[in-house]
Amino acid sequence: MSTFSKRSIAGLMLLGLMIPALAACGGTPAAQEPIRETVVVVQTSAPEVVKETVVVEQTAAPAEPAAPAANEAFTTPNPILGDLRVRQAIAYCSNRPEMIASVYPFLNEEQQQGLLMDTFLPKAHWAAATTGITTYPFDVEKGKALLEEAGWKDDGNGGRANDAGDVLSLSFTTTNAQFRQTWSAVFIQQMSACGIQVIPTYAPGSWWFGSSTGLQRRDFELGAFAWVGQADPGGQTLYSCNQIPLPSNNWEGQNYMGWCNDAASKAIVAANNTLNRDERIKQYGIVQAEFTKDMVSLPLFNRTEAAAASNRFEGFKPDPTDYYTANADEWTVTDGDTLVLGFTQEPASLWGVVESAAVQRTAAYLLGVPASTSFSYDYQAKGLKALSTIESGAAKNEDIEVKEGDMVWNTAGEAVALAKGVEVVDSTGETVTYDSGTLTMKQLTVTDTFIDGLKWEDGKPLVKADYELAHKITCDPESGNVSLTYCESVATFDVTSDTSYTVTFHPGVQWPTYFAGAGFGAYPAHQVLSDGRTLADVPAKEWSTLPEIAEKPMSDGPYILESWDKGQSMTFTANPNYYKGEPAVKKIVIKFIADTNQAVAQLLTGELDALGTETLGAGAEVQTVLDAAAKGDVQAYTIASPTWEHIDMNLFVK
Amino acid sequence: MAAFLVRRLLQMFLVTIVAAICSYTLLYISPGGPIDQLLGERQNGGVNRINQDDILRVKQRFELDIYAPVRFSRWLIGWPTGPILGSIGADWTVGCAIPGQVRLRYPDGRTEIVEEGCDQPVTLADLEGRKSSRGVFFLDFGVSQVILRDRPVIDLIGTRLPYTLYLMGGSTLLALVIAVPIGVYSAVKQYSRFDYTMTTIAFVGSSLPSFVFGIFAILIFSVLAKQAGLPYLPSGDAVGIRDYAIPLLGTIEAGSFFDRFLRFLMPCGVLTFISIAGWSRFVRGSMLEVLSQDYVRTARAKGVKESAVVLKHALRNSLIPFITLLAGVLATLFGGALITETVFNWPGLGRLYIDALGRSDYNVANALLLINVVLLLIGILITDILYTIVDPRIRLG
Repeated sequence: MSTFSKRSIAGLMLLGLMIPALAACGGTPAAQEPIRETVVVVQTSAPEVVKETVVVEQTAAPAEPAAPAANEAFTTPNPILGDLRVRQAIAYCSNRPEMIASVYPFLNEEQQQGLLMDTFLPKAHWAAATTGITTYPFDVEKGKALLEEAGWKDDGNGGRANDAGDVLSLSFTTTNAQFRQTWSAVFIQQMSACGIQVIPTYAPGSWWFGSSTGLQRRDFELGAFAWVGQADPGGQTLYSCNQIPLPSNNWEGQNYMGWCNDAASKAIVAANNTLNRDERIKQYGIVQAEFTKDMVSLPLFNRTEAAAASNRFEGFKPDPTDYYTANADEWTVTDGDTLVLGFTQEPASLWGVVESAAVQRTAAYLLGVPASTSFSYDYQAKGLKALSTIESGAAKNEDIEVKEGDMVWNTAGEAVALAKGVEVVDSTGETVTYDSGTLTMKQLTVTDTFIDGLKWEDGKPLVKADYELAHKITCDPESGNVSLTYCESVATFDVTSDTSYTVTFHPGVQWPTYFAGAGFGAYPAHQVLSDGRTLADVPAKEWSTLPEIAEKPMSDGPYILESWDKGQSMTFTANPNYYKGEPAVKKIVIKFIADTNQAVAQLLTGELDALGTETLGAGAEVQTVLDAAAKGDVQAYTIASPTWEHIDMNLFVK
Repeated sequence: MAAFLVRRLLQMFLVTIVAAICSYTLLYISPGGPIDQLLGERQNGGVNRINQDDILRVKQRFELDIYAPVRFSRWLIGWPTGPILGSIGADWTVGCAIPGQVRLRYPDGRTEIVEEGCDQPVTLADLEGRKSSRGVFFLDFGVSQVILRDRPVIDLIGTRLPYTLYLMGGSTLLALVIAVPIGVYSAVKQYSRFDYTMTTIAFVGSSLPSFVFGIFAILIFSVLAKQAGLPYLPSGDAVGIRDYAIPLLGTIEAGSFFDRFLRFLMPCGVLTFISIAGWSRFVRGSMLEVLSQDYVRTARAKGVKESAVVLKHALRNSLIPFITLLAGVLATLFGGALITETVFNWPGLGRLYIDALGRSDYNVANALLLINVVLLLIGILITDILYTIVDPRIRLG
C-alpha cells in the first residue's frame, strides 16, 4: 500500500483550503444587473426623530424603466397576520401572567399583575389611557372562536388550517437570550393550545438588532423584543405611518409592524408637536385606543428589577425612572454614620457632558442639585423653584412671524436659515416647505428659576458666571459632548440673575420636556485649579481630562467627593454648605463590584448597604435577596422596570 | 549562546508584531463597539438624540474614521500624525469619515442600499492636531477611551498592577511550595492512600472552573459562616471600607494589615488550589518517570539512602519538564486571574481586562494583550535558558 509523503499531505491540505476560496471568488451566475444610483444623505426627518432619507441622483442610465413603488417590498398583506381576527386571537390566547411566572418565579400573583401592560405605556405613566382601550384578558375560547371566524378550522390534530389547506403556522423571531427563550417557550405552548403553530428562531442580538438585518429589515412574522419607557412617551418613530422601514426610505423608522392607522398616525404626530399636557394625554389616548384595537403589537409585561438595602438604611427609594441617589439628602442610618453603595461599573468620568452611563448619573446626584427629578414616570422640581411650565407662566410658546434668512428649526432637527425648500413645522403643527414671504411658527421661551441658597462646597454661592460657563462649555463641540442637538436648538441663553436664566429656542423647536430645566447645569467659574488657572479660563477641549472636572468636581449637592480609589471605591462626605443643611449620613462610599454574586454576598455579610436595580437586576441572585428579606435580614424591592417586552406582528410580507 | 539569543530576540519581535496585528484586528472587528452603542441610544430619541455629526465625532475619538492599517501604525509607532516631512502626502487618503452609498434598483422592483466608496475622506492633513500616542513600541499605550476617559492607560495599569502582583505572586509561590512536595510524595508513595486522595482532589481541582470554587468559597466561608455566627472571611475586595466584627477575632479595622490579609485569603486560596491540582499531577508524573530510570536503581543498589535518592538524584531531574510549565508564570503574574479577580472583586489587571473588553476600551485591552504576549515570550526565553542551567546536556546554539 502506498503511503503519502508529508509534502503531498501538505499539498492536499493547501488545495483543500484553496478550493473553497476559489469557489467563493468565482462569483455567482450572472443575475439581473441592478441600476446603480448614487445616494446623497441629507437629514429630512421630523424634529423628534433622527432619520436619514435620501435624495437620489441618477448616475447610470437605467437599463429598464425604474420599478414603480407598487413593486416595493412589504406591500402584500401577510396572509395570516393581515387578518385582525387572527391578531386578536393571538392576544386572547396569550396567558401573560404565566409567561411572567416563567421568568420571575419569585414574584407573587399581585406583583405579576403589576407588571402586565395593556398598551405601549405602563399603567403608572401619566399618559397611559385608562378608557377607550381594548384589553385582551386570557380567554382561549374567545381566541379559538375568532380563529374559526377567520376561516382557520381545527384540523383534528391540534392544529388549524383554512379551506385552501394552508396550515396556521407563524414564524417567531427573538434573541437567543435565555430570558426570552424561557417566556417564548410558554408563549409557543399557549399558541399551540389554540391551534396556532409557532416556529421559533432564537437569533443572536447582533443579527436581530443589526442596522441592516433582522428587525430593521422587517425580517420576521412575529418578533419579540423590548422597548424602554421614559417619562416622556415619545413614540413618533414607532407608530406613525412615515416611520415604516422600507427599501425606498433606506429602512429608516422603527414602525416594524408596518402599521399605518391614519387616526393613530395623526395623533402621535400631534402628541409630539404640542406642549400642552392635556392635549398630549388626549392624543396619546387616541393612539393607545387604535393601537389596542388593531392589535399590531402585543404588549406583554414590564420587566422586573430588584433593589435591596440593609436594614440600617432608611429612606432608600428605588424607582423605575430615576436614580435612587436622587433623594440622598433625605437618607438616614440607624447606626453608625456611613452608607456603602454597590455599583457594578465604575464611571468613566464624573463629567456628565462626556459620560452618560447610569453609574455616572447615580454618583453625580450626590454632587449636585438637579433642576428636576423624574420619579414615577413624571417630573418634580428639585433645584428649580417650580417646573417651568407654560401653565405656571415660566414658559411661553408664542406664534411668531419668520421670513427668509431667519434661523429656524427644520424638520430634520437642525438650526438652519429659512430659505426656499426648507421644511419646517408651522404654528398649526403642519409640515410645510418654505417658498417665500413670511411664515408663522411657534417659538418657545423658558425661564428657569432656581431656589435660593445654592452654594458650592467652598461656601461661595452660585452666580451668573457659573451658569454662563456651563452653557458655554457644554455647547462647545471641542468639549467632547456626544450630542449637540439641544445646544443647537437654543437661539439665546440669557442669565438674568444669580438664580435665573431664560432660554429662547429657535422657531419650530418644541421640546416636550422643556419644563424640566435647560440641563446645562452650573460650573464653579471661580475655582482655582492646581496649575493656577481658574476654571473659567480653561478651554473646552481640556475639560474632559481636567482632574477638577472628571475626577473631583466641586460639589453644590449634598456630598463632597473626598477620594476616588480607581477600580475600588469613591468616598463622599457630607457637604456642610448644602442648601438644606448638612445631610444626616456623614459618609457615603460607592464600591465597584463587577460580579452580582459578590455584591449580594457583601450585602448579606453587612459590607454593603444598598444595591440599586442597575446592580441587582433580575437574575438568579434576586431570589437569594428576597429570601433574606423574608427572614428580615435585608430590605428588598421588586419594581416594574421601564423596559417592556412585546411581540410585534409584521402586517406585510416581503 | 549569543547567536541563539539574537535569533530568539528577532523571532520574538516578529511574533510580537504578528500577535499585535491579530489582537488589534480581532478587537476591532468584533461586534458591538462605540458606534453601535451610540446608534442604540438613538432609538430613544429625545433631546439628546444622535445625528450624523455626533457619530462623526465619536468615530474620530476612537479613530474609527481612519483605515485599520493606518490606525494600527499610529497605535504601534505613533505615526503618521500628519503629512510626512512637513507637506508630503497632505492629500493622501488615510480614512473615510462618511462612506458613500449606492442604491441598487433591481428590475424586479427590489431596492437595496449598499456602502461603496467614500463621501468624505480623511487625509493625512486631517490627522494633524489629533491626539496621538507616541506608539506602544515606545511604551506609550495612549489614553483610555472609556474606563478612565482620556487619561493614560499606563496610569490605569499602574493602579491595578500591585494588586495583581500581590495576589498572583502569593498564590504562585504557595502553589509551588505545596505542589512540588505533594507531587514528589505521591510519586514515591504511588498507589498509597495519600496518592489516591491527592489524585482525587487534583482531578476535582482541574475539572471545576475557578468561578465555581470562588462562589462556593464565598458561600461557605463568608455568607453561611456569618449566618451561623462562626468566624468568617470577608467575601471580596482587596481592602475594607469600614470596620467589621468577626466572632473570636473581634473588630477588624478597615484598611489594616489584618483586614487586607483576611481579604487576600479566599482568592489566593482558590488560585493556589487550582494551581496545586495541575502542578502536583505534573510533578508526580515526571517524578515517576525519573524514579524508574536506571541511574536511580543504581543509586539504590549502591545503598544510597532513600531520601538522598529521591531528593538528590530524582527530584532535580524530574523538575526539568516542570520548568516548561513555569514559562507562563511571568505572563500570569502580570495578567492576573480574569475570573477569580472578578468573582472576588479583586481590583487587579484581570478584572480590568474583562472591563475593557466589555466596554470597548480598545487601548486598554490592546495594551494588556500586548504586554501579556511580550511577557509570555520573555518567559519562554528564560525557560530555554534555564534548561541549560538545570540540565547540562542541553546546549543552546
